[in-house]
Amino acid sequence: VPDENPLEAGLRLRRRPDPCILIIFGASGDLTSKKLIPALYSLALRGLLPEKFGIVGAARTEETHAQFRARMKQAVKDHARDPFEEEVWKKLAHGMRYVTLDFADDKGEDDLRDTLTELDEEVGIGGNRVYYFAVPPSAIGTLVEEIAERRNADGWIRLIIEKPFGHDLASAEELNTEIKEHFAENEVFRIDHYLGKETVQNMLALRFANGIFEPIWNRQFIDHVQITVAESIGIEGRAGYYEQAGAIRDIFQNHLLQLVAITAMEPPIDFTADSVRNEKVKVLKSIHTPGPKHIVRGQYGAGFVEGEEVRAYREEEGVAAGSMTETFVAAKLFVDNWRWADTPFYVRMGKRLARRETTIAIQFKRAPHPPFEDGAAEGLRPNVLLIHVQPNEGVSLAIGAKVPGQGMTIRTVHMDFLYGGAFREGLPDAYERLILDAMLGDATLFTRSDEIVEQWALVDAIVATWQRDRPSFPNYAAGTWGPAASDELLHRDGRSWRRN
Amino acid sequence: VAKELARGFEDTWTGEDVTIAQIERELARLRDESSKDGAQPNLRTSVMTHIAWVPPEWQSRAEETLAGMAERHPSRTLLLVPRPDEADGLDGLVSLRCFPIGDRAICGEVIELTLRGNRASAPASIVLPLLISDLPVFCRWRGEPVWDSAELDQLIGIVDRLIVDSTEWEDLPGSYAQLVELFGSVVVSDIAWERTERWRSLLASLWPGIAEVEQISVKGTRAQAYLLAGWLRSRLGHDLDVEVEEHDQLEGIALDGKPAEFPPGNPPNASDVLSAQLDRFARDPVYEAAVRATAGV
Repeated sequence: VPDENPLEAGLRLRRRPDPCILIIFGASGDLTSKKLIPALYSLALRGLLPEKFGIVGAARTEETHAQFRARMKQAVKDHARDPFEEEVWKKLAHGMRYVTLDFADDKGEDDLRDTLTELDEEVGIGGNRVYYFAVPPSAIGTLVEEIAERRNADGWIRLIIEKPFGHDLASAEELNTEIKEHFAENEVFRIDHYLGKETVQNMLALRFANGIFEPIWNRQFIDHVQITVAESIGIEGRAGYYEQAGAIRDIFQNHLLQLVAITAMEPPIDFTADSVRNEKVKVLKSIHTPGPKHIVRGQYGAGFVEGEEVRAYREEEGVAAGSMTETFVAAKLFVDNWRWADTPFYVRMGKRLARRETTIAIQFKRAPHPPFEDGAAEGLRPNVLLIHVQPNEGVSLAIGAKVPGQGMTIRTVHMDFLYGGAFREGLPDAYERLILDAMLGDATLFTRSDEIVEQWALVDAIVATWQRDRPSFPNYAAGTWGPAASDELLHRDGRSWRRN
Repeated sequence: VAKELARGFEDTWTGEDVTIAQIERELARLRDESSKDGAQPNLRTSVMTHIAWVPPEWQSRAEETLAGMAERHPSRTLLLVPRPDEADGLDGLVSLRCFPIGDRAICGEVIELTLRGNRASAPASIVLPLLISDLPVFCRWRGEPVWDSAELDQLIGIVDRLIVDSTEWEDLPGSYAQLVELFGSVVVSDIAWERTERWRSLLASLWPGIAEVEQISVKGTRAQAYLLAGWLRSRLGHDLDVEVEEHDQLEGIALDGKPAEFPPGNPPNASDVLSAQLDRFARDPVYEAAVRATAGV
């Protein structure tokens, strides 16, 4: 009998992972019920989970196996993108357990080990484990140590670690060191769910699968890049976290820098985890720390979002009355390398902005000499390649076109590719892709330790300059596009934020 | 407009003894009229040209499948209904089918052509002017192809992929030998094969326990039974017996008398299965080997 399974050839479901148990630390939290379990259900529905599979929820909250299953069943009904099917759920729930666990508690860890051993024997899993850390960074070190102490020789281990990975460079490096004492880098999967989004991955397809873009993807043809990560929601009851993090740690350090890296990176030699991540790290290393004039921070005051009156950040529950936490950041970044020298990357991100939108806009230089009469091309804007990460996922190219009729009048029109238009299948949730990739051991869409270090180094350098001044907060009304200083950041360069 | 968009909309035009130019003109008019004054124009997104060769006895079933598929694969669909026994001529039914996406609509086009008399034997000359440039062309052939016919030969010459459903064939497994002859000329896929995908995944998960299996019993269509047996023969490298309990869909498999567990999830519907075929472009060597093993060639 040959070692390789000849029956797997040609099957679309070949990417099915080895039998394993997924252990979720922080199973009583929102992430588990809103994202992780619904994602696992969608994977189960599509037959993408291993035949032999278990889920163990672990958290401080007292709960029985049955209570946990019932809560997760409701979570699937409420939050999964697919309709609920009892048969699929039953199969998933069959291998579902819950362990009450205090993270520094040996007894809890022993209970967890016993539960895993029982499940191993009952389902026939063979010792493979995926640990998902949906817990604060401070709990991770202890848990990693406990896992390492109880590790046996059977099967592989993979650690999926949610953001935030530390709160500054020192804490991130410390966490990296703690993990590396026990686990190799290829066992660690630092999650940034933006990388699991189809449209972010499509950026790689757009750039490296199309011959027309890459030759003009540089300082010679591109005037500047604008990246917007805008949310219309507020802090949604997460004052405890957000007061410590602010927009710079919540979005800039991870999602935003990943978008910059994917936009600016050189073509990788192949699509393996290390090749892609090597190129991203080079971009992060090339980002020049923006000076105080090139960074704007803001905090929202009261205002209206989608017609509804909303309160100021400082009036949110749990937020200090004189809070200086930023809910908005705009910056002018430079990627100091051969491809991008002198080409600004204007980035902005924040809460309670005019609408929810994540876009990457590549603005090309104007045509050097339009041979038309004065006024013919009045109002013609430069070509912009706009990547809609969310919502309305797709790509638009703004071009000039002649208005039909006598004479020559030119105006800007959009050529649109909408994901929902060309591919009518629902886009998988980012967590489906990322959980499956981690089970398969594919780290391409996860953040490597050196990426994290570079990201935090940049954030620390920016935050250091903030210690010296005290802006007048709030400085933008909820439901707008941020403080006036954000517009001025571009106006100084004779540019403006694209009209959203 | 919003109310109309919420449920999608369709606009049609029909004509008898039409020309291709007339059809193109009417289609352009429908597209133009589908965008309301002052609103953003609808998107004409296409990923392919989809040809369906549909003898009259298959027409209603083909339209049913198409209705479920059009939304998933925005395309230009050319439904060709051959009626060689009628007087020469070409009748057309042109429809624009739009589906909401945000505040805009995505429109697909369906051109149903009845090829009367001699027109039925010259489909390529009718199809060629209507293909969307630079996009792949798929042809779904309903029923069993007339293997040595000019129509099949012509359409194979202009399409990137021929999609059949061997469940619709009478002479099994004999017709598989005819199908093998086409493998060198066009990429072929088979909906009967696609419908076994979930079961093949399940059987693959039983490896190596089934490496020496000697008999497969299938409760399903004959096509599925033969293809699964051919697949096991070609992949495992030894012969095995096949037993069929005929049923209109794949309901169960037993290996050496031992029933296999049911695969998870529900079987896909006809539109989903065809849709899955339209996402594939390359030859499927595993399928071709299974057909060869089934046909004994």
